[in-house]
Amino acid sequence: MSLQIPHHDINLEPSMSKPPDFNRQSVLMHTERGFKSEVISIVPLTTQEKLFHIRICDPCERENFTFLPGQFVMLELPGCGEVPISISSSTSNKEFIALCVRKVGKVTGMLHRLKQGAIVGIRGPFGTHFPMEKMVGYNILLIAGGLGIVPLRSPIYWTKEHRSDYKDITVMYGAKEPGQILFDYQFEEWRKIYGLKMLTIVQEAGENWNGRVGLITELFKEVTIDPDNTFAIVCGPPVMFKFVCGHLSNLGLPRQRMFVSLERRMHCGMGKCCRCNVGSTFTCLDGPVFDYWTVMNLKEAI
Amino acid sequence: MLFRTITKENFRKMVEALMENNEVIGPKWRDRDTEGNKIYRFLKLNTFDELQMDYTRSYSSPKNYFLPFKEDLSTYRLEDKDWEQEIHYTIHPRVIIGMRACDINALLKLDQVLVKSAYPNPHYVARRRNTLIIGLDHEPLEDCFCRSMNSDTAFHGFDLFLTDIGEKYFVAINSDTGYMIVNRFDAREVAEDDQRRYKEVKGRIETKFKTQVDVTIVPELMDLEFESDVWKKWGDKCLSCGSCAMVCPTCYCYGIEEHTNLTFTKATKRRVLYSCNLLDFATVAGGHNFRPEAHIRLKYRYYHQFRGFVEAFNQSLCVGCNRCGKACLAGISPKVVIDDLIETEKR
Amino acid sequence: MKYLGITLERPKIGVFSFTGCEGCQLQIANKEETLKDLFGVVEVVNFREISSEGRDDYEIAFVEGSITTESESARVKKIRKQAGTLVAIGACACLGGVNNLKSRFSLPDVVKEVYGTHPIDTGPVRKVKDVVRVDIELPGCPISKPEFEWLVRHLILGIEPQFLQYSVCVECKQRLNSCVFDMGMMCLGPITRAGCNAVCPRNRLGCWGCRGPAEEANFESLMEILRERGFSEEHIAERMNFFNAFGGIL
Ligand SMILES: Cc1cc2nc3c(=O)[nH]c(=O)nc-3n(C[C@H](O)[C@H](O)[C@H](O)COP(=O)(O)OP(=O)(O)OC[C@H]3O[C@@H](n4cnc5c(N)ncnc54)[C@H](O)[C@@H]3O)c2cc1C
Ligand code: SF4
Ligand code: SF4
Ligand code: SF4
Ligand code: SF4
Ligand code: SF4
Ligand code: FES
Repeated sequence: MSLQIPHHDINLEPSMSKPPDFNRQSVLMHTERGFKSEVISIVPLTTQEKLFHIRICDPCERENFTFLPGQFVMLELPGCGEVPISISSSTSNKEFIALCVRKVGKVTGMLHRLKQGAIVGIRGPFGTHFPMEKMVGYNILLIAGGLGIVPLRSPIYWTKEHRSDYKDITVMYGAKEPGQILFDYQFEEWRKIYGLKMLTIVQEAGENWNGRVGLITELFKEVTIDPDNTFAIVCGPPVMFKFVCGHLSNLGLPRQRMFVSLERRMHCGMGKCCRCNVGSTFTCLDGPVFDYWTVMNLKEAI
Repeated sequence: MLFRTITKENFRKMVEALMENNEVIGPKWRDRDTEGNKIYRFLKLNTFDELQMDYTRSYSSPKNYFLPFKEDLSTYRLEDKDWEQEIHYTIHPRVIIGMRACDINALLKLDQVLVKSAYPNPHYVARRRNTLIIGLDHEPLEDCFCRSMNSDTAFHGFDLFLTDIGEKYFVAINSDTGYMIVNRFDAREVAEDDQRRYKEVKGRIETKFKTQVDVTIVPELMDLEFESDVWKKWGDKCLSCGSCAMVCPTCYCYGIEEHTNLTFTKATKRRVLYSCNLLDFATVAGGHNFRPEAHIRLKYRYYHQFRGFVEAFNQSLCVGCNRCGKACLAGISPKVVIDDLIETEKR
Repeated sequence: MKYLGITLERPKIGVFSFTGCEGCQLQIANKEETLKDLFGVVEVVNFREISSEGRDDYEIAFVEGSITTESESARVKKIRKQAGTLVAIGACACLGGVNNLKSRFSLPDVVKEVYGTHPIDTGPVRKVKDVVRVDIELPGCPISKPEFEWLVRHLILGIEPQFLQYSVCVECKQRLNSCVFDMGMMCLGPITRAGCNAVCPRNRLGCWGCRGPAEEANFESLMEILRERGFSEEHIAERMNFFNAFGGIL
C-alpha cells in the first residue's frame, strides 16, 4: 500500500496570480517579485550622488504603484543585490519614480555605472510615511542635513500640490560644503512657485560661496517658530537630528510633532530578516519614519 | 481533536507506505559523543529502521525543513540590459516524523511572523502547507525548560501526535489528512486500558521537568537590566559564532546574497539564515556597525527572544529546548543568563 | 560580455606558483564543466599548469605559494610590477601556510635536514604580503573553486569582494554536522573565517584554520574553552600554528 500526501500548489491561490501590491500587506503574494523598471534618465548631481528616474515597465503595475512621502523601495540589480532607497519624487507622478543614490558600496556602486535604458527591479513601497494628513492647518519645518534632502523632496512636492492645506513652510538645508548641496537647481522653483522659505547653510565655505556658513542650528536664528502650530520633519545623520530635535524641543515643540527617518541595514523591507531591528522595533515596518518621542524611547536608536 | 491508537507494527507499515511516494524526514543518528551517546539529527529516511523513535534530542531543530539555511528565492535570466525573473516554490509533499512539542510550538511562532504578519512569506507558506507533521512525546531531558516557556504541550500545529504507551502509540489526530492516513493502518478507538496507560505516561512526563527558568518577569527585566554587567560577563565569552541561532527552532533572521553565474547569463537571489550574534549583522555601508561588540549582540539575541517577540505577539520566541545552550561552546544558555539577570536584579 | 547593459572587459590573467604544493593551481584547472566558461570570461596568458607558453601582459596575477628564496622574492616583485591587481591565493600565499613549519626550526638545521650538505638558496618562509603589496587574499588550503569563480566575477565586474566575516561554525551548523568537540576533538572553527562549507568537520575532523582568522574572532575565549576541555598547551599550540593563521596569539 502506498500513500501520497495531497500537495498544495500555492501558485493557484487567487492572490498569487496577480502582480504583488505591497500596499496590501496581509495578502499572500509573490513578495520577491520585483517590478521591472527602466532607467529613463540619469542626472549626475555631485561626484557621489546621481539622480535616477525609473519607470515601471508594465503599464498596469505602474498605474497600481502608489506611495506616500517618506516611504522607500527595495531597489534590485539582479545578481548584485538589493538596497533600500527613499522615493524622492511626487506621489502624483505616474510617469517615473526618482531615486537619488549615493555611491557607497557594492549595489550603489554598480548602479552608478548603469546607462540609460538599463532594467532594474523595485519592490515596494515599504515603511511608514510622513503624516502629511496630520499636518493640515499647521506650519511645517522641513530640515535636512546632507543626503537627508533626498527623502524630503517627496513631502516638498506634496506641499506644493496641497499648498493651501498648510501655513508657512520652511526648508532648512545644511551641507558639509557647497559642492555637496543637492538639487540647488530647484531651489528657485521651490521658493517662487511652491512658496516655500528656503534657507541653506554649509559647514565649510569654498571659494565661490557667499551664503551662510555654520551648523544647521544657526538657521534657527533666522526663523521664528510657533511651537503650538508647527510640525517638523528632520532628515539627516543621527547626530544632526538629535541636535536639531533637541533644539526644537527646547523651543517647546512637542516631540510627537517632530518626525525623523531612521536608517538601518535592510535585507527584506518586510519585517522578516530582522536586520533593521532596533530594540524590539523593525525599522522597515514600524519606520523608517518615526516621531521623535518614539525614537527617544527606542533602545539603541540614537 | 480525535484520539486513536495504532500498533507499532502498523505504524511501521504506515511509515513505509509514506516513504514510497513522499520524502520522509525523521531523527537519525550518525556519530556518538564522548560518552557513547548517539548524536541525532533530522534527516531524510531511506528505511524505517533508520528512524530513531527513542531519540533524546536532535542537536539542530527541524526548522530548516521549513526555513532552509539556504534557499533560492528567485532566479534570473540575464540578457544584455534586460532580464526575466523566475520564482519557484517548493511544493513537493514531505512528512516529518518525531517532532517534539517544543518544535511544533516553535513552528507556530514562526507562523506568527512568516504567515500571519505583514507580507506572508510564500516560500515558507509553500513548505508549511506541503508538510505533514507527526509529533512525538518524550520525557524531558535534564535541561529542557519548555515547561517554563509554556511549550511542553502541543495543542495544534501537527497532523498526528504520538505518545508511546508500550506496544502501541496513542495518537492525537489534528487534521483530515492525518485521520485518513492512520485509519488506513487499522487505527483503533481508544480503549479504557489505553487511556489509563496514556495518563500514566503523561503523568510520568509531568514529574520529569527539572530545569525551570522564571520568565514571567523577563520582558521587564530585559529593560531594567539593559546596562547590566551580566551581558558583559557572558558577552566576553561569546565567540559570535552563530551556532545558537542556527540550531534554534525559532531563530529566523537572514541575509540576502545575490550571485551571477560565471558567464553573467543567470543570477540567483539567495536567502541565508543569519544570526544577530554575527559581527556584521547590523553593519551598514561605510563600515558603521550599530552593534559593534559581542556582548551587545548577545544581549539582542536575548532581547529578541524574550522581549521583542513578547511585545509583538504576547509570547516569547524561545520555546525552551535548550539547543542553543547545548551547542554553545562558551556555556551560554538562557537558563544561566536569565538566572544571572534575576540574581543581579535582586541585589 | 554584458551585465545589465554594462560592457565587461575580459581581463588577462596569469597564475604563478611559488613554494607550495600547487594544489590551489589544480583547483583552478580542474572541474572541467566550468573551465570552458572560465576561459570564456578571462584570457589566460600565463599559467604553466595549462600551457607552457607564457606572456607577460597579464592584468591580474594570481599568486600561489609562499616566498622562500631570494629568486622567488625577485620574481614576485616583477609580477607585482606588471599586474594591476595581485591576488594571493591559498593558505601558503596568504599565511605562509604549512610551509611555515620550517620557520619554527633554525634555518641551518632545516637546510641540513632537507638538502644535506648541498648549498641551497633558501630563506625564511614569507607570506606574499610580506614581500609585495597584495590587493586581495583568497584564503583556503586548497582554495575552493566556487570561491575562486566568485572572486573572478567580482574582478570582472570591478566590485570589491566582501569575504564572509563570520566563522566556520555557521556553515558547520548549516550542514547539520556533529560538532567535533562533542566527539572529543579539537576544532578551530569558531575563530576561522567561513567559506569552505565546513569540509573538515563534515568529515569528522576539526578545523585547522586554513582560511585564517574570522573577523574580530574571540581568541581568548576559545583558548579558555580549549583549556577547560583538557587539551594540552602543546596540542593547542600545534593546532594554532599549523597554518600560521593565528600568529602572535599564543
Ligand atoms: C529606509 C532607507 C532609505 C534609504 N534611502 C537612501 C537614498 O535615498 N539614497 C541613498 O543613497 N541611500 C539611501 N539609503 C542607504 C542605502 O540603502 C545604502 O547606502 C545601501 O544599502 C548601500 O548598499 P551597497 O550595496 O552599495 O553597500 P554595501 O556596503 O556593499 O552593502 C551591502 C548590503 O548591506 C546592506 N546595507 C548596507 N548599508 C546599508 C544602509 N545604510 N541601509 C540599509 N541597508 C544597508 C544592503 O543590503 C547592501 O546591499 C537608505 C537606507 C534606508 C534604510
Ligand atoms: S552564545 Fe554561544 S553559540 Fe551563540 S554566538 Fe555566542 S558563543 Fe556562539
Ligand atoms: S534572536 Fe537574533 S538570531 Fe534569533 S531570530 Fe532574532 S535576530 Fe535572529
Ligand atoms: S533560544 Fe535556545 S532554548 Fe530557546 S528555543 Fe532557541 S535554541 Fe531553544
Ligand atoms: S565542529 Fe568546529 S566548526 Fe563545527 S560547530 Fe563545532 S566548533 Fe564549530
Ligand atoms: S574547516 Fe578549517 S581547516 Fe578545514 S577547510 Fe575549512 S577553514 Fe580550512
Ligand atoms: S528589512 Fe528585513 S526586517 Fe526590516
